[in-house]
Amino acid sequence: MDARRWIRAGALGGVVTIFLALVGLIGNFTGLRLVGEQITFARLMLVSAPLVAGLIVAAPRIEGGTRRAATLSEAIRGGAVAGAAAGAVFALGILFTDWIGDERVRRIFLNVSPQLMEFVTFEQAAGVGAAIILALSAAAGLLGGVLRVAPATIRRPVTAALSVTLLFGFLQRVIPIAFDQIGLERDWLYSASLGGLTWIGALVIAAASAGVSIVNSRYGSRLRGRFAGRPDTGPGVRPTTLVLGAAVLGLLIAAPQLLGSVISEVLGSVMVFALLGIGLNIVVGYAGLLDLGYVFFFALGAYAVALLTGATLNAFGIAPEPAISLGLNFYVAIPFVMLLAAVAGVLVGAPVLRLRGDYLALVTLGLGEMVTVLVGSPWLVPLVGGPSGMRGITDAGIGGLGFRQPQQFYYLALAFVVLAMFVSWRLAASRIGRAWTAMREDEQTADAMGINIVRFKLLAFAMGGAVGSLGGALFAVKIGSLTPASFQVLVSIQVLGLVILGGMGSLPGVIVGALVLVGLPGLLREFEEYRLLAYGAAVVAVMVLRPEGLVPNVRRSRELHEEEAEQDAWVKAEEPAAEGTPA
Amino acid sequence: MKHRSWVTTLAMVTVMAIVAASCADDTGGGGGGDGDGGVDCAAEEFGCVEVAAGEPINLGAAQVISGADANLGQDQVNAIELAIDYRDGTFDQTPGQVLGHDVQLTVEDELCSAEGGQTAGTALAADASIVGVIGTSCSSASLGVADTILGDKGILLFSGSTTSPALTDPALHNPFFARTAHNDRIQGAIVAEFSLGDDLGATTAATIADESPYTQGLVAAFEANFEAGGGTITGSEQVNSEDTDFKAPLRTLAEANPEVLYFPIFVAACSLIIKQAADIMPETTLVVSDGCIATDTLKNTGGAQGVYASAPDVSAFASNEFYSGEFVPAYQEAYATAPLSVFHAHSFDATTILLDAVEAVAIENDDGSLSIPRQALRDEVFSTEGYEGMIGTITCLETGDCATDVTIGIFLGPGWDVEGGTGDTSPVYTDTKSLDDVL
Amino acid sequence: MADSEASPAAVRQMTRFERLPWRRIILLVLGVVIVTVVVLGVFRTLTSAQRFSGDYWIDQTVNGLAQGAILAMIALGYSLVYGILRMINFAHGEVFMAGAFGSFFFADAYVQSGFLNRSPVLALLIVAAVAISVSVGTAVLLERLAYRPLRNAPRLVPLITAIGASLFLQNAFRGFFGPQPYPFPKPQILAGNITLLGIPVQRIQVLVLIIAVICMVILQWFVSATTAGRSMRAVAQDKEIASLMGIHVDRVIVMTFAIGGVLAGIAGVLFSLTFEQVQFTMGFRPGIAAFTAAVLGGIGSIGGAALGGFVIGLLQAVGPSLLLTGFGIPSVNSLRDAFVFLVLVLILVFRPGGLLGSGEAEKM
Repeated sequence: MDARRWIRAGALGGVVTIFLALVGLIGNFTGLRLVGEQITFARLMLVSAPLVAGLIVAAPRIEGGTRRAATLSEAIRGGAVAGAAAGAVFALGILFTDWIGDERVRRIFLNVSPQLMEFVTFEQAAGVGAAIILALSAAAGLLGGVLRVAPATIRRPVTAALSVTLLFGFLQRVIPIAFDQIGLERDWLYSASLGGLTWIGALVIAAASAGVSIVNSRYGSRLRGRFAGRPDTGPGVRPTTLVLGAAVLGLLIAAPQLLGSVISEVLGSVMVFALLGIGLNIVVGYAGLLDLGYVFFFALGAYAVALLTGATLNAFGIAPEPAISLGLNFYVAIPFVMLLAAVAGVLVGAPVLRLRGDYLALVTLGLGEMVTVLVGSPWLVPLVGGPSGMRGITDAGIGGLGFRQPQQFYYLALAFVVLAMFVSWRLAASRIGRAWTAMREDEQTADAMGINIVRFKLLAFAMGGAVGSLGGALFAVKIGSLTPASFQVLVSIQVLGLVILGGMGSLPGVIVGALVLVGLPGLLREFEEYRLLAYGAAVVAVMVLRPEGLVPNVRRSRELHEEEAEQDAWVKAEEPAAEGTPA
Repeated sequence: MKHRSWVTTLAMVTVMAIVAASCADDTGGGGGGDGDGGVDCAAEEFGCVEVAAGEPINLGAAQVISGADANLGQDQVNAIELAIDYRDGTFDQTPGQVLGHDVQLTVEDELCSAEGGQTAGTALAADASIVGVIGTSCSSASLGVADTILGDKGILLFSGSTTSPALTDPALHNPFFARTAHNDRIQGAIVAEFSLGDDLGATTAATIADESPYTQGLVAAFEANFEAGGGTITGSEQVNSEDTDFKAPLRTLAEANPEVLYFPIFVAACSLIIKQAADIMPETTLVVSDGCIATDTLKNTGGAQGVYASAPDVSAFASNEFYSGEFVPAYQEAYATAPLSVFHAHSFDATTILLDAVEAVAIENDDGSLSIPRQALRDEVFSTEGYEGMIGTITCLETGDCATDVTIGIFLGPGWDVEGGTGDTSPVYTDTKSLDDVL
Repeated sequence: MADSEASPAAVRQMTRFERLPWRRIILLVLGVVIVTVVVLGVFRTLTSAQRFSGDYWIDQTVNGLAQGAILAMIALGYSLVYGILRMINFAHGEVFMAGAFGSFFFADAYVQSGFLNRSPVLALLIVAAVAISVSVGTAVLLERLAYRPLRNAPRLVPLITAIGASLFLQNAFRGFFGPQPYPFPKPQILAGNITLLGIPVQRIQVLVLIIAVICMVILQWFVSATTAGRSMRAVAQDKEIASLMGIHVDRVIVMTFAIGGVLAGIAGVLFSLTFEQVQFTMGFRPGIAAFTAAVLGGIGSIGGAALGGFVIGLLQAVGPSLLLTGFGIPSVNSLRDAFVFLVLVLILVFRPGGLLGSGEAEKM
């Protein structure tokens, strides 16, 4: 029985590895060295699935009504079997490809390159390579199993060490720049010739993170207790949150100085998306409305700012003055732009907010599409320049100090983000925020209690839209020119993705989401082609495994796990009676 | 009360941020070098590039090297490397030198989009040692983006394949942008001339454009010259390059029964229009441009029978001894393939001109280092006159166009000059024009 | 704004300004404006100096119907799943794409060996079978991995998951097969036009219409006359009661996804034969259009999806030229998507249940 479960988990892992190979994540990265010369990204991909299979197989299970952890022997056997099963499936794939010839497979699956085949067979004959894979996967599975059942005092530091070291390995083009800027020696950490971490550097990082993890487990609660003060009852902020917030803010302010202008440019994009996320968070996170057309407000803000601050049309052969052109200062234009977006939000929202969630999603999607089509259409060329767009957007300068340079822009964006976060935070704690929460949790009851649903939905839509338009305005300043290509439906999906990943309704979550979904891809340019694949997988994984996101909002978390909470309560209530009665 | 303290903290932080911003200085800007030669680097607006003794000269490239258009960019990167190789006079797969310094190539991917252009431009602009950039591959990555980012720092952006007229339009041109690629006003004009002329003898034409600057430029040039030559444009449609169903716009255009349909768009949409137009407008002659000329198009349309395609006439410089006798064999030896697109020669010439200019304006200091003044470098490139490059005679204009006399050929499918083309792949029509000849 | 369904408590809180029947007033004004604009536009288009010929309208209508037939088949998949799970399967467009892509490799092999033109019927049947298998496989996999764990989650969650799944599938296929389009072969017997009632129609369009109608008829029969169909309707009506009645709900749900997959697979082959091209992005726009069609017709209803498909097809083909040319807007066909969405929004405003719906939106 157990064996069947183990084999199934392993087989699934094998299929995942085959998928990774077919999609190109193994074959194209045989040269991406993470640690030293031996640990490459491709090798990591090869053993990840069996490792995870081992982790899953050795997880505590619910048997006979109780939760039971796996024993060490079970973990070893299970992990090994699962790993072997994964390896077997993948090995079968290798043997099959070898048998019918990899050129024939390549006619269908483009990534089955000779390079890939050489790699997965370890440059041996297919049979030998398959055997090696089998053994390697079994070992990985075993490791995963053992890790899962290890006591927390061992597991946590090991996990921390592994993840942080790998992260440093991935960021091999970013962290050395920071070191250079500060003037620290970095050759001991990153190998200049190979690109990745040196073994010494890796060991140091691993030891350090393990150490931090141990300290955190032992003394963390004590330290937090020291700062905790009273629990979260009234308005105001807990001292821990204040300290943490100030530290993060300090880091964010110092970042461009440490990291140079290339990374500052990426961080600037992160800030713009964070702003968009804060706005969408009001709509999706606070009010619970699924808006798939957020690009509408983004585009509105960008083009409105361009038109109000005197940008010109990019197309050649026509007059460069747009049909509407004012020469306002950026900071004077911003309130008008936000007002325009709010009004547009109300006009657009009024007829459709009565509709149920799915319809609302569709209609907002359609609105986003409409905007995309309209800004690129020949019809509106005299206004927004059509496909060639607009150029010469103001750099939001104050007294000669422009904000287009990456570092300067970052500070401008950061200032707006902090402002928006503050407003959003106060909003959530206000009467309006409470109305939204009530509306979100049970609309009919809220209505019965006297909350004007339509009014509050419109308010959410308008405020979310205003913040979104602010994001658009900043985007326009950042790039200095606008083309319709930047305003596709994908933007709406990306912003939704980062709000979800970070945690719906959670403001710190938005920042985390932006850093992960916009910052990481910006820094890891070699994975550009796999960005959307990772996005899709991340969204599905988050929704299935942890719908409250990475930095959850406590309330939302409870809402999302309502079913489980109810069941738990039911089980607990039943327990005294269950003692003497048969199951 | 508590809120007030929050507000003060916030205000202080914001002020601090702005102060920090004004002190922020990225690692840019050339320092002064006390060189002879009458150039004071410290006083120069864009300063000089300092290359220490023994250090390589850093050349940048912003090309599209991933995704669907990777061939276009990779081809040019290969050509740039060959140009660096040839500094020593032979193609021997060992890089040559400039003034005793090695030349190092830094390639950034511009993703054939405005955002990619911004990222690539920022990355290269951040590096103070970059002497100049060969790129971009696509007009959308340059227009208002990379050209401005690099131009603001005085870094020359020299392109081998961006053909959009907007880039060298007097109102929109960035002084630090130049190109050896032709200006599509010429290509559009020659296509119009071909349509009006004896081969087709058309008096009516319709156009289809997509959202890219490349297409927009060609269609605008075609329409202007066609009408100036006495023809009538019966309709213009715009489509999205990702659409699959073009029946509606085609049917709309078919109403006026144009004799010629010109749709200079890219491979995916182009193949579909060729197939769909065969049913909807069987009597109309179809004309496309180099964005559509690809092996895939021929495959998808069964040879593009009867479709005319305009492109730079490579045979004009294929007859060049150097090109066919030395360059192409060297390319094949180094990269195990024939050149992938048609713009490699343009990038080769651009690189050579740029490096020649570096040799001309660099100040050799006593300690063996070089100071290369950016403004002088730009001026030197722009003063190129009568240079015999692989693509022909090159004379740079103040607006950035360096390809003076451009030869465009019209090819009849399936005889397109690309892998998969069959039959006679020589052009059925060819003409050479300069910018003064066209609208 | 006052809402006639607002609770007494809420009404008490509203100001006199808010108590006016704003919604009715605005709807009325909006309706009048829209009707005026439509009539004006159509009139001006049909009487303008460069008016289109009768042939033009006929051709566009035929194109619209043929395209609409394909959309209808995809829309049926959306409607069926919605009826059972009350959720929009955003990834259905990718199910369609998967089938088309999967069948491409067989079709390509057949055209190379000549089999496609020697015995086109047999070849096409095999190609269709492959498409169906791949589509059904994808749909069932989706259900099992992405939707089943979320059966009891709040409504927002499966919707977002579907979007993520759609992105994932699209890019997985991009990773497998590359970003470039592949030419899908068309057998000789399907090339060219035939003349029906004096109208030239493409042979492939005739095939599309015939097959679409057959499929819809079979589906209607299946749902109303067979036991399996009845169990589908039961589960759609009330999942819990159905399971109490002995219906294996999970199996019915899988079957629903599978049927949607069958239709999408067939649509995929027909689409590929019409446009002779497959590409990893090919599912996105038809997916949105079909989704729009299902909602337009009244989601959850088979007849609604079918009707919606044809209506959207016609709107896309005929709408922009008929309405917008009259206002002198250049290149009206580039506004096609915007036009369709505008119509959708308006329909939902006036008739939230869709064309065949009840006229009132269900509240969440």
